[in-house]
Amino acid sequence: MSKTMAILKDNLWTNNPIFIQILGICSTLAVTNNLRNTAIMTLGVALTTAFSSLTLSAMKDLIPRKVRMIIQVLVISFYVIIIDILLRAYLPEVSKQLGPYVGLIITNCIIMGRAEAFAQASKPLLSWWDGLTSGLGYMAVLMGIAVVRELLGFGTLFGIKIMPEAFVPWTIMIMAPSAFFLVAMVMWWAKSMQAGRKPEAKPATPGQQATAAAAPTTTAKA
Amino acid sequence: MKKDSILYVVAFTFAVCAIFVLVLALANESTKDLVEANREFASQSAVLDALGIAWADRSQAATLYKEQVSPVEGSVPPAYRATVDGSGFIAVEHTGAGLWGAITVILAADPEATLIRGIQIVAQNETPGLGGRIEEAWFLGQFKGEKVPGQKIRVAVGAESKGSGDTDTENGLADGVPGASRTSQAFESIVNDALVRVKAIAGGGK
Amino acid sequence: MPPLINPITLFFASIFTSNILLTNFLGMCSFISISKDWKSSFGLGMAVTVVLTITAAVSWLVLRFVLVPFGMEYLSFIIFIIVIAAVVQILEMVIDRASPALYLSLGIFLPLITVNCAILGAILFMQIRSYNFIQAITFGAGSGLGWWLAIMLLAAIRERTEKNPVPAGLKGPGITMITIGFMAMAFIGFSGMIAVQ
Repeated sequence: MSKTMAILKDNLWTNNPIFIQILGICSTLAVTNNLRNTAIMTLGVALTTAFSSLTLSAMKDLIPRKVRMIIQVLVISFYVIIIDILLRAYLPEVSKQLGPYVGLIITNCIIMGRAEAFAQASKPLLSWWDGLTSGLGYMAVLMGIAVVRELLGFGTLFGIKIMPEAFVPWTIMIMAPSAFFLVAMVMWWAKSMQAGRKPEAKPATPGQQATAAAAPTTTAKA
Repeated sequence: MKKDSILYVVAFTFAVCAIFVLVLALANESTKDLVEANREFASQSAVLDALGIAWADRSQAATLYKEQVSPVEGSVPPAYRATVDGSGFIAVEHTGAGLWGAITVILAADPEATLIRGIQIVAQNETPGLGGRIEEAWFLGQFKGEKVPGQKIRVAVGAESKGSGDTDTENGLADGVPGASRTSQAFESIVNDALVRVKAIAGGGK
Repeated sequence: MPPLINPITLFFASIFTSNILLTNFLGMCSFISISKDWKSSFGLGMAVTVVLTITAAVSWLVLRFVLVPFGMEYLSFIIFIIVIAAVVQILEMVIDRASPALYLSLGIFLPLITVNCAILGAILFMQIRSYNFIQAITFGAGSGLGWWLAIMLLAAIRERTEKNPVPAGLKGPGITMITIGFMAMAFIGFSGMIAVQ
C-alpha cells in the first residue's frame, strides 16, 4: 500500500479522530442537528486542517522553537478567519446560524494535533493530505450523526421533508443528549468492528501465525 | 542568524503577524460590499415577508421594496410605511430581551394596530430546538392576519398551549413553543411593544 | 441598545439550564481525559472558572475599546486567542509567585486551558449576544462554574462505575459519552426549576 493510501485508511478508520482519538468533538457536535450546517462546519474543519498543516510544514524550518505554539495558533486562526469572511460574504444565512461555532474551529484539537504529530516532521504535500483525510474522517462520522439527528428530530434531510406527515419529531434528537448517545453508539460500533476483525484475521494467514508464534510469550499466554 | 536568538524570534513573529493581518485585511476589504449587500437584502426581504409581499428572487425583492415600502424618516430603530392590496400598513423593527439575548423582529400591522399583518424574526439567540423554534413557520404563521383585541395579543404557555399552532385569527391568542415558556413570554411582550410603536408612528411619532 | 437580562438569572442559567458543556458541547477534549481523576477534575474546573471570568472581562474591554472603534472585528478570533493565552500566562506567573501550594494544585492545569474550547466559546457567545460588562462577567463566571460542576459530577460517577462490567467496545470513552448524555438529560430537568425555558 502506498503511503498516501496508508494515511487515508489510518485517518478514516484505524485512527479516526472521533471514535479512536476522541479529539475535536467540541466545536461541531452542537450543530449536528442540521445536516447543511454540519456539512459546512466539517468541511471548514477539513480545509483548515489541510491548509494549516501545509503551511506549518512548509514553514517548519523557519519557526523558532520558543514561539512554535503561538505561530501554530496564528496560522490556524488565519485560515478560520478566511473561512468566516467567505461564509459571511457568500453564505450569510449559514454564517448567521453557525454563530460562534465557526470561530471555535480554532480550538478544535484535531488541527493542532495534526500540526504537532504529523506536519512537524513531514513534507508539505503529505501533511496537506494527512490534514485533509483527518478532516474527512471527522466529517464522515459527524455527517452520519447529523443524518440521524435531523431525520428523527425534524423529519427532514437537508431541509427536505422525508418522513411522512404523521411522523411526530423526536424533540430529544434536536437537544444535546442525543448527540452524546449517538457518538457513543458510533464508538461502540467502530471498536467492536475493529476488535472483531483482528483475532479473525490472524489465524487466517499462516505467515502471520508464524510471526505471532515467534513473538514473545506474552501473546501465547493470552 | 541563530534560530533561537531573541532578535530572530521577534522578527519572525512580527513578520508572520504582519503578512497574515495584511492578507486578512485585504480579504475583509474586498468582501465588504458583498457583506453590506447581504445585510441590506436580509433586512429588505424580512420587511417584505412581514408585509406579506411575495418575491421570487433578489432583484425582484429590491424592486418591490423600492416600489411599495417607504422608510419613516428619522425613526430609530427603522419603521416603514407600505401599501399592500390597497390598504396601508406600518412595519416596525423592534428589539426586546429574550432569554439568551436580544430578539429583533419586524412586525407589520394596520395603522390602528388592531390587525397584525405578519411578523419576521431578524435575529435571535435562543436555545436551538427550544426557544429557537420561534423562527419556525407554524409559530410565526399564527400571527398572520391575527386580530388584536384590546391592543394586546397573548401567547399561551404551559398546559394552555397546544403546541401545534392556534388557527383562530379572531382571538388574539397564539400557542407558545412547548418547553420554552420564557422565550414565548418574551416574544409576547416584544410583539405588544412593537404594536404600541406602530400606533405611535401612525400618530406621527418617530 | 442591548436589552438587559438580569445578571443573576443569567448566572444561574449558564450554570444549570444552559451548561456550556452539556448543552453546547464546549470543552470536551480535556473533559473526557481529565475526568478519570476526581482531584485533577477539581483543579482543572477551578482553573477554567478563574480564567473564564478574567478573560471574559478582559475580552469585553478589548472588544469594546479596541476592536470596535478601529473596525477590526474581523480579527476578533485571533485577538481573543491572544487574550486567553496572555491571561493564562500572567496568571501562571502570579500564582507561582504568590502561592507555590496553589500553583501545585492549580497551576499545572493552566497550560491546558489555552486550547480549551469552553473559554473561547464563552467569549464568542458573549460577543454575539452583545452582553454588557456586568453580564459578560456573570456569564463568564457562571459558565466556568457550570463546567466545574459538570466535570466534578462526571468524575464522581466515573469513580463509582469504573469497576462495572461494560461491553468491551464501550469501555473507556464510549461509556463516558453515554454517562455525559444522561447528565445532559438530567440537566434539562433544571429548566422548570429556575423557570428559564
